[in-house]
Amino acid sequence: MAKVKNWQIQRDMEYPYTEHRPKRQWSIIFDLNKCIACQTCTIACKTTWTSGKGQEYMFWNNVETKPYGSYPLAWDVRVLETLGQQAWKAKEPYYGKTIFEAANENEVAAHFNPKDEDWMYPNNGEDDCLGNVSHGEHITLPHDKWFYYLPRTCAHCTYPACLAACPRKAIYKREEDGIVLIDQSRCKGYGECVRACPYKKSMYNPHTRVSEKCVGCYPAVEKGYQPMCVQNCIGKIRVMGFVNPPWSIREGNPIDYLIHKKEIALPYYPQLGLEPNIYYIPPIHANRDYLLQMFGPKVDQAVANYKNLKNDPVAQGLMVLIGSTDRIMHSFKVKNGIASGYDEKGDEIVSVPVTEPLFERAPFDKDLKAVRNNTP
Amino acid sequence: MKMIKFLILTTFLSSGLARAEDYSIRKVSADLSKPPQITADYWQNVPELKVDLLAQMMVKPKPAKVLTESVKVQIVHDGKYMAFRMRWADKEKSEAGKLGEFSDSVALEFPVLDNANPPPIFMGYKDNPVHLFHWRAQYQYDAEHGKKGIKDIYPNLSADMYPNEFVNRGSLRPATEAELETFSHGKAAGNPQSSLKKALDEIMAEGFGSSVVREDIDSAARGEWKDGEWTVVISRALKRPNGSVLEVGKSAAFGIAVWQGGQDEVASRKSITMQWQPFKIEVK
Repeated sequence: MAKVKNWQIQRDMEYPYTEHRPKRQWSIIFDLNKCIACQTCTIACKTTWTSGKGQEYMFWNNVETKPYGSYPLAWDVRVLETLGQQAWKAKEPYYGKTIFEAANENEVAAHFNPKDEDWMYPNNGEDDCLGNVSHGEHITLPHDKWFYYLPRTCAHCTYPACLAACPRKAIYKREEDGIVLIDQSRCKGYGECVRACPYKKSMYNPHTRVSEKCVGCYPAVEKGYQPMCVQNCIGKIRVMGFVNPPWSIREGNPIDYLIHKKEIALPYYPQLGLEPNIYYIPPIHANRDYLLQMFGPKVDQAVANYKNLKNDPVAQGLMVLIGSTDRIMHSFKVKNGIASGYDEKGDEIVSVPVTEPLFERAPFDKDLKAVRNNTP
Repeated sequence: MKMIKFLILTTFLSSGLARAEDYSIRKVSADLSKPPQITADYWQNVPELKVDLLAQMMVKPKPAKVLTESVKVQIVHDGKYMAFRMRWADKEKSEAGKLGEFSDSVALEFPVLDNANPPPIFMGYKDNPVHLFHWRAQYQYDAEHGKKGIKDIYPNLSADMYPNEFVNRGSLRPATEAELETFSHGKAAGNPQSSLKKALDEIMAEGFGSSVVREDIDSAARGEWKDGEWTVVISRALKRPNGSVLEVGKSAAFGIAVWQGGQDEVASRKSITMQWQPFKIEVK
């Protein structure tokens, strides 16, 4: 085991390989306040990548309802159960064990092995809220009865458990963008990645007898485009870009801005120790204790920071840019009420007003001599 | 634990072939190139060698305990082929198929460069390969019944449509095999794991995780599970180009690995011989 730096838990941790960060790191940020679980991302991914035989059950991208939804069944509860009770005090590094440190001497990572029935209910728990709604109840903030939607892809982790557990070294992390791939020509379908990934984003294909996972839509990323799940998000809740560790933040990078500068987006289950690279803006009205176990002790601050965005025109500008382009934004600027996104070369790819202009139409169209109304 | 590992390593790495008494392999007048027979007459009166196995302990992930404690082995040759008949206890038959299911399996290992001074038994090492003959119950099913389709594995599964598989193709020509498998990533990438198997794979390896399936096969295998016991016969050509070469009249050695698929054993989760098993191929 090597000692590697994991900034998400603010300490060095044990990992089977030495630290090696890619030139840049693929990353998605999801605003959970906006996700409506329309599953357009799920279908965009499904039709692009997993329409073949043996992939019927696969959702490289899925959206589950929290707290009751899960795919595969109870993955989060079972992983946490395997890890055992751990403590993380606010404003301190996480001194509990990661899955690599909690593993017994025979294993690479503490894990559970899902069986086939665990994969067969992808929409289990959909729209189930915590607690029964009884007569006379009304909405309070944060919500007393709550649920929220959690869209998930592979996190293309800095310290992937799938890669660490593969006995054939058939899983690799790309130098150019940090995307983690299973070599489809070398994998022998041992399923060690399926066992080890705590987020359960490696999946076995019984038709090809090899394992598969989210490929980060690398062919699109190579051409400067965001993955299909991001491009097709009709709620404009997600943005893909490249994240840097806190010691090499790039000014103007929208991902670094939301994660490091505004501190509103957090990794999920960072205590597992994989340094996952999908980040979530926590749902501000959901139960705080639940959010705490999912996003760690920084969640209170993240929620407070998110609520303050209304006073920050630059951050507002970025929130409007999200979902306004299919291209990867390497940087952004907000000036005179206009937010602009730029590609790698610095050329403008999108420009939107931070506040949509208000148009007032006269109720009578003089040219057409017709009364306007809003009835289609 | 580290010290024990070190001692084991030094013991096995330094000694090469631990010289116990060679198992004497006699010639039989049968054609062993044919698909192996489990109950042929020539197995009678062939002495049975009890080979002890231990849980693989060199690389993670490791099995928590030994599931196959020993294998009973009989070996014969016909001058061109050599057949191994192996028996071990396994309480359930596992052919894999569904998600999270693994196949019962056995593999024979031979040195390649020097039969008298084999490399460490643990999958060989760089520039000193080993040659493996890997039988799986799953592969045997392939050979005898064809590869299980997704509808065989999950009869109640329903899928709207697969790429290029239209119920009514209209004026379109029939899709080619390659077109139908375009979205089967392993198959499209040419992974031998995704192809129909012939009961066993021949594999070359130069260390853990380095195994490569050979395209040419000059071996055959057949297994039978009955009353909590597997009997598997693997028959291999004595001389394999760029692989293990065995010569009549000379000595060599083999190793065995067994996987109990029903107990989730796969890959490095296996029971193995910790020492090469020496044998001599008799002229008669």
